[in-house]
Amino acid sequence: MILTIARKEFVDAWRDGRFRVGALLVLVLLVVAGLLARQQVERAQAERASAAELERRNWVEQGNKNSHSAGHYGVNVFKESSPLAVFDRGVEPFVGTAVFLEAHRQNQVAFLPAQDATAMRRFGELSAALALQVLVPLLVILLAFGAIAGERESGTLRQVLSLGVSPSAIVLGKALGLLASVAALLAPAAAILAWLLARAAGPGASEVWTRAGWLAAAYGAYVTLFAAISVAVSASTRNARTSLTILLTFWAVNCIVAPRLASDVVHGSLPTPKLAEFETEMQKDVQDGLDGHDSRSKQLEAFTRKTLQEHGKSRVEELPFNFQGHVMLESERLASVVFDHHFGKLWDRIQEQDRAVALCGVAAPMLALRSASMAFAGTDFAHHRRFARAAEEHRREFVRLLNEDLKYNARPGDHRYTAGRELWERLPVFQFEPPPFAFAWSEARRSVLVLLGWFAASILGLVWSATRLRAVVA
Amino acid sequence: MKSFGLELKLLFADRATWGLLVVFVATLVYGLVNGAEAGARARDNAEAVQRDAFEWNRQVREVLERQSLDPRQVAGRPTSALLPPAPVPALAVGQSDLLPSVEQVSLWRLEKPSEGRAELENPSRLMAGRFDLAFVLVWLFPLFLLAAAYDLCAGDRESGTLRMALAQGASPRRWIALRALARGTPILALAVAATLFAGSSGTAPDAGQRGALAALVVLAYGLFWLAVAAVINGFARSAAAAAMAAGTIWVVFVLVVPTLLNVVVESLHPAPSRAELVAEARAAASDAEKRGNELISSFYRDHPELAPPGMQADMMSRMLAVQDEVGRAMEPVKERFDEAILAQQQVVDRWRFASPAIATHEALTELAGTGYWRHRAFREQVEAFKGAVHAYYSPKFHKRVPLTKADLPHFPRFEFAEEPASVWRARVLAGVAGILALALACGIWAATRLSPQKLSA
Repeated sequence: MILTIARKEFVDAWRDGRFRVGALLVLVLLVVAGLLARQQVERAQAERASAAELERRNWVEQGNKNSHSAGHYGVNVFKESSPLAVFDRGVEPFVGTAVFLEAHRQNQVAFLPAQDATAMRRFGELSAALALQVLVPLLVILLAFGAIAGERESGTLRQVLSLGVSPSAIVLGKALGLLASVAALLAPAAAILAWLLARAAGPGASEVWTRAGWLAAAYGAYVTLFAAISVAVSASTRNARTSLTILLTFWAVNCIVAPRLASDVVHGSLPTPKLAEFETEMQKDVQDGLDGHDSRSKQLEAFTRKTLQEHGKSRVEELPFNFQGHVMLESERLASVVFDHHFGKLWDRIQEQDRAVALCGVAAPMLALRSASMAFAGTDFAHHRRFARAAEEHRREFVRLLNEDLKYNARPGDHRYTAGRELWERLPVFQFEPPPFAFAWSEARRSVLVLLGWFAASILGLVWSATRLRAVVA
Repeated sequence: MKSFGLELKLLFADRATWGLLVVFVATLVYGLVNGAEAGARARDNAEAVQRDAFEWNRQVREVLERQSLDPRQVAGRPTSALLPPAPVPALAVGQSDLLPSVEQVSLWRLEKPSEGRAELENPSRLMAGRFDLAFVLVWLFPLFLLAAAYDLCAGDRESGTLRMALAQGASPRRWIALRALARGTPILALAVAATLFAGSSGTAPDAGQRGALAALVVLAYGLFWLAVAAVINGFARSAAAAAMAAGTIWVVFVLVVPTLLNVVVESLHPAPSRAELVAEARAAASDAEKRGNELISSFYRDHPELAPPGMQADMMSRMLAVQDEVGRAMEPVKERFDEAILAQQQVVDRWRFASPAIATHEALTELAGTGYWRHRAFREQVEAFKGAVHAYYSPKFHKRVPLTKADLPHFPRFEFAEEPASVWRARVLAGVAGILALALACGIWAATRLSPQKLSA
C-alpha cells in the first residue's frame, strides 16, 4: 500500500505544472551554477599557476645580492582552489589568495576575491550548494504542504481512512513519493556535477570521490529531513494554509535568518580581536618578548654571550662563522614563537566561532549542513588555515636557508657578501598538499552528528504524526 | 476611510497580527543595535588612526621648532589616509566590513598594490553578511508584509464570500486596495520609523536627510510588495495558492535574481587576476631595479633642476627613480583592473531594477555611506593623495633640501571629501523612482485582474 500511495504522489507531483516549472528552474540553476563555478575555478587556477611561474622567475632572476636582502625581497605564494569548490565555494571568496613571504614577518593571506566584486555577491553566490541548501527545501515544502492537510480539507482523507488504509501507509507513502519526485529532479543535476568533478584534476583529486560521497549523503539527509518535516506538519495541521504558514516560517528562519543571526550572536560572545590591536600587540611582543620580561635586545645580548662562551672567543669577529647570519637565525626563531602564539590564538578563535555556529545547527539544520558541506568540499576556514600554516612553514624554511647561507658562506664581518642564482634556484618551490579526508572528517563530524540528530528526529516526527493521523484536526 | 478603519480594526483583532508585529519589531531592534555596534567600532578605529596621526604631527612639529629635518625622516613614515566613518552606519553595514577604510601611504610604497582588509573578520561571517537594518528591510520586511497581506481576497474566493460581496456591488479594486494598505500600514509604519530612527542616530550633518530619503526608499519598496500581493490575489483561487505564489515570488526577487545578476556581472566583466597583478608588479620592479643607474641618470638628464650637486645619486634617489618606473609600467595594468570593477558596478546600476530588492539594497547602502560609490571616491582620492605625496617629497629628496618649520603647513595631508549631495541624491532618487514605477506597474496589473468579472469567474 505504501508503494501504491508513493507512486500516486510521484505521478501527481510530476503532473503538477507548478512543480515542473519549479523543478526545471532549480535544475537549470544547479547546472548553470556548476558550469560557471567550474569555469571560474579553472580560470583562477590558470591565473594563479601563471602568477606562480612568474614569481619563481622573479625570484630566480633577482640578481646577485646579500642572502638576507633576498629574504627581504621575499616571494609570493598563491592559494589553489579545492576541486570541490565547483560545488561549494565556501569561504574562498572571503579569504585571501596570495601571501607574501619575507624575512621577519608573518603576513596575512591577502587579496580577497570578494573585494574585487560588487555588493551583489553579498546576496549570496550562486552555487550548487546554495541551491540545494535554500531552494530545494523550498521546493520540497511547496510540494508537500498540502499532501495531507489538503486532503483533509477536501474531505478525501476521511474517505481513504474509512477504506481501512492504515495511517502510517498514507504518511510514509506520501513522504516516499515526495522524496522520489525530488530525487528524480536531482539525479540529472548530480550526474552533471559528477561529470564536472571527474574532469577536475587538481591537488587532492584522488580523495575527491570520498568527499563527494559524504557531500551526497549530507545533502540527501538534509532534503529527506525537510520532506519528513513537511509531511509531518501537513499531517498534523487543520488545513493546507496553516501547514504552509508553519513550513514557510521554518524555512525562512532556517535558510534566511539563522546564518546571519547565528554568526552575529556567536561573534558577540566570542569576538575576534581588532586588526590594529592584533598587529600592535604582535609587534610589541616581537620587541619585548612574549612574557614582556626579556626584550629582544636583551635576549640577543644573552645569546651573543652564550655563543662567545661556547666557542671560547671574546669578540664576534673571531667566531668561525658570520655572526650576523647566526643572529638572524636566532631572531627568526624568537619571532616565530610570537607569531605562532598570536596567529594561533586568532585562528583558534575563528574556528571556535565556526564550531559554535555549526552547533547552532541544533536549532537550524542548514547551519550544520553548511559547515559539513564546506568541510567536505575543502573550502572552510580549517582548510584555509592549513594553507596559511603551510605557507608560513615554507617561509621559515626559506628564510632559514638564506640566513644559513649568510652564516656559513659569508666571511665573518663581511658586509659585502652576495649570493646569486645558484642559491636562489636551490630554494624549494612552494607545494601545498591539501589535507586528507580524515582532516575534513574531523572538522565535519560534529555537524554531521547534528544533522543526523535532525534526520532521526524528523523520521520520528513523521512516524509520530502517522500514529496520530485523524480525518479532522481541531 | 471608514472601511480603512474597519480593516485596521479587524487586523488588530487577530492575535496573529500582534505576534507578527512583535517579531518584526524584535528583528528591527536587533538590526538597529547590530548596525550601531558596527558603526561604533568603525568610529573607534577612526579615532585611533586620528590620534596616532595627531601624535606624529606633534612630534614632527616639536622637532621642527628646534631644527630642520631630513625629508626622508618624515616621508618614510606612512601617513594614514582615512575614510571617515559612514554618515549613517546604523542603516547598513554594506561593504564596510570587507573594504578597508584606512590606507597607509608612504613615499616608498606608492606602487605597492594595496592589500588592506577592513578588519580581522571571520570569513564565514563575511560570507553570511550581517543582521543589520538593511538585511531586515530588504530581506525580512517583504516577508512580513506578505504574511500580513497575502490573502486579500483569495481566501474569500475559496470560501465563496467573495461572490456575496461582489453581488452587493462593492468595487473590488477600491476595497482590495484599501485592504492591502490597511494590512500593510502597521508593518510599513514600523519599518519607516526604524529607518528614520537610524537616520537620527547618524553623526553626520546630513544624516537626517539621508534617513528621510531611506524612509522614502523603504516606503516605495513596501508599496511594491503590497502591489505584488494584490496581483497574486488577482490570480489565486485559494489562500494556500496565494501564500505559495507569494513565497515563490519573494524567492525569485530576493534570492534568485540578485545571485543571477552577480553571475552575469562577473561573467561579463571578470576582475583581472590579483595574483598576476602582484607577480607582474614584482617583475616590473625587479626589471626597473636592474636598470636603476640608467634610470636615475636619464631622470637627471630630463630634470637637471632636480639633480644633486655633482649628479651623484644616493641609494634613496635611485629607489625613487625605480619606483617611478614601476609606476609607469604598472599604470595600464592597474587601469585595466579599475575599469573591470567599474564596469561591474555599472552593470549592477543598469540592471538593479530587475529586482527591487537590489535597487533597495543599493539605495540603502548608498545612503548609509557604506556602498560602492563612496568607497570608490575614497580610493580615487587616495590615488590622488599618493600623487601629492610624490610631488611634494620627491624633489626635496633629489635636491636634498631639509624640511623646515616653514614647510609644516604644506605637508601633504589626506582629507576625504564626501561626494556632493546632489550626486548621490540623484542616484538614490532614480532608485526610488524605479521602485515606485515597478510598484505602479504591478498595481495597474492588479487592477486589471481585480475586475468584478474576472474575480467572479
